[in-house]
Amino acid sequence: MKWVTWQQVGVDRMACAWLITTYLDQEAEFLFVPAGQKPLPEGAEPFDIPGVRLSHHRGHCTFYTMLREYDLHDPVLQRIARVVDEADTVQEASLEPAAAGLELICRGLRLTSPNDQVALERGRLIYDALYAQFASEPNQQDLL
Amino acid sequence: MEQPHGPSWVLLDYKIPREPTASRAMVWRKLKRLGALLVHDALWVLPATPWTREQFQWLAVEIGELGGEAHVWESRLLLNGQAAALIQQFQASVDEAYQEILKELSQEEPDLLALSRKYQQVRAQDYFHSELGQRVRVRLMSARGGFAS
Repeated sequence: MKWVTWQQVGVDRMACAWLITTYLDQEAEFLFVPAGQKPLPEGAEPFDIPGVRLSHHRGHCTFYTMLREYDLHDPVLQRIARVVDEADTVQEASLEPAAAGLELICRGLRLTSPNDQVALERGRLIYDALYAQFASEPNQQDLL
Repeated sequence: MEQPHGPSWVLLDYKIPREPTASRAMVWRKLKRLGALLVHDALWVLPATPWTREQFQWLAVEIGELGGEAHVWESRLLLNGQAAALIQQFQASVDEAYQEILKELSQEEPDLLALSRKYQQVRAQDYFHSELGQRVRVRLMSARGGFAS
């Protein structure tokens, strides 16, 4: 199916796209519209746009919302959600040192990619790596 | 009146129900954490960058979900000298925090790990690259024990 978001993807959108293609929709096709553009293309599920279902809610990032909306309870994914929360939004506690670095790397990845499509594809490598690393660490349950 | 010039700013105004006070306090702390300045008890201001726009946008969404209302604006100052004065205010607020770190660094056996964290937090709010920040960084590096270089 089709998924739509604003142009200039960053840490949260790269995480969401990775989640979508890995867990929800292997055939996912991503569309990018200028920030603020309305109406959104019909027949495409919008994400990380203010006011839509798959967006920031209660101070959490869109990746976190997607885990909740799609009932994904894997503790490794939930830890990644914590990292993306800290990377993408102002959080009062800072528990994941990877967050600041991840945010910078994703920003840089967009700079070195010719367009948003390629940036999302390259971002998958980062989140595959993050998932593999977290999954290899013991006691993921304790870190939620 | 002059033509708009100087940097562009993002502004946020909001109201939020008095209760629960925890929500009000949380929004306040987040604005402080962003290093936003409160002007005339009315408007929160940050220099406009893609990142600050996005942070205010999401904070406005959060305020809405807490039963409040928020506007996010982008604008430039029209009167001569006011942009420079605002930049000064931003500088003064981070410089004060940097000074505290310098003071603690000059005491005996400073907690370098804690002070470096504090430095990182201040630097995240240092939108105009204070020179004092550079000095704190150099002092933190040279305060490390062991080899001289």
